[in-house]
Amino acid sequence: MDEEILGDFLVEASELVEQLNGQLIALEQSPTDANLLNAVFRGFHTVKGGAGFLGIVPLVEVCHRAENVFDKIRNGDLAYDAVAADVILRAFDVISDAIEALNAGERDLPKNDAQLLTELDLLAKGQLSVPSSTNNTFLQPSPRSVSLQLPEDLDPDGEMTDEEFEALLQQRDGLGQTRPDAPPLRLPEGVDPDGEMTDEEFEALLQQRDGLGQTPPIAPLKLPEGVDPDGEMSDEEFEALLQQRDRLTGGKALSEVSDSAAPSTPGIATAELRSSPSQPTQRDESDAVNSATKANAESTVRVDTRRLDEIMNLVGELVLVRNRLLTLRGSHGSSEEIANAVGNLDHVTTDLQNSVMKTRMQPVKKVFGRFPRVVRDLARKLGKEIELELKGEETDLDKNLVEALADPLVHLVRNSVDHGIEMPSVRLAAGKSKVGKVILAAEQEGDHILLSITDDGKGMDPDVLRRKAVEKGLLDEVAANQLDDKSAFELILSAGFSTAEQISDISGRGVGMDVVKTMITKLNGSIDIRSVLGQGTQINIRVPLTLAILPTLMVSFAEESYAIPLTSVQEIFDYDPLKTNKIDGQRMVRLRERSVPLYYLNEWLAPEGPLEKDNQKVVIVAIGNQRAGLVVDQVNGQEEVVIKPLGVMLKKVAGYAGATITGNGNIALILDLPGVIQRFV
Amino acid sequence: MSFYTLQKSESNAALLNDYDDEAFLGPNIRCVMFALDRETYGIQVSKIHEVLRVGQIRRVPGAGRQVLGVINVRGVIVTVVDARVLFNMNPKPIDDLCRIIIVELDSERTVGILVDFVMEVKDIPEKKFEPLSSTKDNPSRYIHGIAHFQEQVIILIDVDTLFGHYE
Repeated sequence: MDEEILGDFLVEASELVEQLNGQLIALEQSPTDANLLNAVFRGFHTVKGGAGFLGIVPLVEVCHRAENVFDKIRNGDLAYDAVAADVILRAFDVISDAIEALNAGERDLPKNDAQLLTELDLLAKGQLSVPSSTNNTFLQPSPRSVSLQLPEDLDPDGEMTDEEFEALLQQRDGLGQTRPDAPPLRLPEGVDPDGEMTDEEFEALLQQRDGLGQTPPIAPLKLPEGVDPDGEMSDEEFEALLQQRDRLTGGKALSEVSDSAAPSTPGIATAELRSSPSQPTQRDESDAVNSATKANAESTVRVDTRRLDEIMNLVGELVLVRNRLLTLRGSHGSSEEIANAVGNLDHVTTDLQNSVMKTRMQPVKKVFGRFPRVVRDLARKLGKEIELELKGEETDLDKNLVEALADPLVHLVRNSVDHGIEMPSVRLAAGKSKVGKVILAAEQEGDHILLSITDDGKGMDPDVLRRKAVEKGLLDEVAANQLDDKSAFELILSAGFSTAEQISDISGRGVGMDVVKTMITKLNGSIDIRSVLGQGTQINIRVPLTLAILPTLMVSFAEESYAIPLTSVQEIFDYDPLKTNKIDGQRMVRLRERSVPLYYLNEWLAPEGPLEKDNQKVVIVAIGNQRAGLVVDQVNGQEEVVIKPLGVMLKKVAGYAGATITGNGNIALILDLPGVIQRFV
Repeated sequence: MSFYTLQKSESNAALLNDYDDEAFLGPNIRCVMFALDRETYGIQVSKIHEVLRVGQIRRVPGAGRQVLGVINVRGVIVTVVDARVLFNMNPKPIDDLCRIIIVELDSERTVGILVDFVMEVKDIPEKKFEPLSSTKDNPSRYIHGIAHFQEQVIILIDVDTLFGHYE
């Protein structure tokens, strides 16, 4: 297998699979949408084409059958109902898994599940109407055998080419479907029947043949002007033709097929695409579509994110050089021209930094895209009826964040579906609509992104949560009763807390929510929960727009600087030994009638010096629901820093989130607050 | 911070050979030779990204004893380890001759090794290297082999094994 072509195919196929994922779910909402149906058909078709070229037989088998099914559906011969959707989604999973396996370096794909193939075949013939799980005997492969005809010029003992194999496959699959009286296929003029076929010619033939049995009304296709009918077609011209035809079949008519060709050799017959007049509007439309897709293809470029990181790094260095120049300009009495040039450099560097940051941004759609499927599958499994609404899919955020948010969001949405939304009967009894609603929304809030998962389910009872917390030994009764409702809701984020009566394989193992909480905290984000009993729950997640730049508070010990993430910093005041107490071996500082534990960072960061010095400051930070006071030697002010990894050797050292290079070119270490506290406790 | 990047190409290998008979000794391993406490060590050039003078090393409190700290190599934070501590020798203060050899384990893992001084780049015939015949029960696995070559004993370090456990 040609690895380079395979690589190109995988890139394209992965994108198509991602699109198909969304389109298939959307299709369930609007099963007759002709554009969607065509898009899905084309998706399977394109994957099949590439897989066929590379000889990936399992992929071809599934794609081809799925394509057949959608051909029927878009022609109105079949309906995309829940049964069809189940089979198609399974087929889609097979395709998606295969592509994932290929991406992971696997080269030998497992054989397809025969039952799935049979179901797809039956589906395409309109014979699959009963849910597959109850009907296995019916689904045995039909015993009918058909003899396949080899193309005449093929040596039966020799090796088959991929194309020949593909032709045979198509021939065999088509047998059950094409009408016996299908008009024969014809070679385009200018093609030597004995010569080698080009891919395009062959593909055109296939399309022609596939279309034969299905849509009797026929309309002529027209070549764009300026195309020599006898000459070679370019890919774009061919694509335009295809689109033109697809549009026709989606509506009412199909390509004209002319008569007279040897019926014994369907595999190598070819279609004629005649240049005869058609309605100008149709052509214009397809031209427009064509040029639009072309423009799209040319305006994007694929870049390895590592390369982007490199550019980010270099831009960061450039910013430092600029900063140094700016200081030099201030200190030396340089000429005005130099000052102007440095000023210019300043602007350009700032713009450059912003542009590079933007290239790392991706729409949150990337994460949201998977949810319709998650919700659909889960709802079907649980017997619930749920409508998922996505809002603000276009909101941009950092690529790393997009990836990091996927898992926590999946968990929260599953929770909403599993625990939040009630069974239809319960909903009706409570006077609600039978269909539950889950809203997944994203919006930008200043330099933060607000993600919210809202359901109109049963909500949470703070009293039940308090009781559970006591039962599980997380809190004593007094403490539990003192919690306000909001804090009670936050109990579900604690480790070992699960309110599900029965443990399902979907959620309720009590490991989920605290993992979500940890993940969000790692992203410097926060979670906030609102719930009204009987009306629903809303979970809000706030995360910074980008992971690469972190607003910090710079502090220092013995001339070495450290950065504390600013999101955790609550207040800063002078250290006064008289306002501290030692309680149970732990120094505490009094802060508005509360005692907050104090940690002397000196102990760890500059152990050679004394613990207490003049002019020390206390930085009060919030870590989850706790507060702590960090005693630092000096506070240097706020700085936005670019986070850089510390490297493998220091990854396991607790207390650091990374390092950064400060304005003067020195390295500052970024503190990871949970890790810092861990060091002291 | 000044630095010089080493040639990774093998093209002028023949020019560096002082002895004619070495043409018969088969393929060479091109090594950067450095000194540590009177012994001569070598690391394959293909593993080395560059050699730097010692600038400011930022201490990382709490890190292991062998970690001196981190340095800024054109915007990338690189951990620097003390080769003396790594090989169980007594550390010595950093002087003008000390260098940091930046080793690239793979595209994502870079480590700096502080050595006493860097001597030269040498092509050593592969055949000259032989495995360490140690009397110790478990000889140090990071020593790829030793070569007796041109009146010198050269200890070839396998950096992948040396840092392999930091996965």
